[in-house]
Amino acid sequence: MKTFEEKWTAWVDGQLSGRELLEFEASLPDKAAAEAEKAGARKLGELLKRELSARTLTNEEFFSHQLREKIARLREAPARQAREARSTWWTIPRLLWTGALSLAVFLVFTVLVMREKNPAEESQYLTQILNARVDPVVSPNATVSIFEVKQDRVTVLWTEGLQSLPADYAAK
Amino acid sequence: MQTEATLAHADVSELDLVRRCQAGDTEAFDELVTRYRTRVFSMIYNMVHNEQDAWDLAQDSFLKAWKSIKRFRGRSSFYTWIYRIVMNVTIDWLRKKHVKGVGAEFDDATQLREVDPASKTVPQTEALPYEMMERDEIRTRIDKAIAQLSPEQRAVILMKEIEGMQYHEIAEALGCSIGTVMSRLFYARKKLQNLLRDVYENI
Repeated sequence: MKTFEEKWTAWVDGQLSGRELLEFEASLPDKAAAEAEKAGARKLGELLKRELSARTLTNEEFFSHQLREKIARLREAPARQAREARSTWWTIPRLLWTGALSLAVFLVFTVLVMREKNPAEESQYLTQILNARVDPVVSPNATVSIFEVKQDRVTVLWTEGLQSLPADYAAK
Repeated sequence: MQTEATLAHADVSELDLVRRCQAGDTEAFDELVTRYRTRVFSMIYNMVHNEQDAWDLAQDSFLKAWKSIKRFRGRSSFYTWIYRIVMNVTIDWLRKKHVKGVGAEFDDATQLREVDPASKTVPQTEALPYEMMERDEIRTRIDKAIAQLSPEQRAVILMKEIEGMQYHEIAEALGCSIGTVMSRLFYARKKLQNLLRDVYENI
């Protein structure tokens, strides 16, 4: 069932025919006024067509050029995204490897430094000196003093009154 | 609807171009754009009354067409199909603009725009200055009258009167029923007749 608006539009556009046309025209209260409206609608259509069809696109080639560039960028986008995704995938293992390697290097250096920081309590030379005795016959007034600063790893042997250096004082 | 563009490029069928586009051929799409760019632009321009906006919306429409060309099944003509995209883009834009309330809809620069001398609707003889002024005034009146219609009414009246599309083609392009198209056409005509009666009666 068509509404009045639909029937009117169809009538103006000449789309009504046969019984439908007769019924519609018979239903119009003022046929002359309706015909004037119909003529007006047609004139309006002609006016719109005449005045608005003339509007054209200037720079047509630039329009197409701009569109081609946009489409090219659009086509490039998935490839670029794939490349970016691939490079991101490689970054994670790289990061893990770099982290593990850095940790290993750190541990190696730490062990080496710590070992250097904890030397033997007593050096071989110091033991030898401490165990040595001055012969009172050879050097009756001799005194031997030892000064040691462990944290600086320095030992000073201070001798006085020695007539001769005992053979077993020689460092090996 | 037999389009002017179809007649002009009958050597390469539209469907063939569409198939090539679906296979990713940008040159085929470029050919389709060349066929329809002016009509699409003109249609949008008559709805938005601003050259720059019409340009951007036409670009958006063709770009959307390219993105979704694989979904085109050929049940309607390419022209009807692209008009559906054009209408969606333009009506959506007009609605958003209406909500935001951005500026005046009528572009005064329109009055100064020159008409393409190659256009079939332009008189071949040179118009006198007062005739040109009169035409500009008429166009301004028409633009202002169209600006008072809803986006849907604008679309319907322009597709019917300018493009000469059938009710079912308009309905397809707008995604509504034929009855809705006829109803919108009724109200659009009534409003424009009231606003432009003195114009069309005195020409």
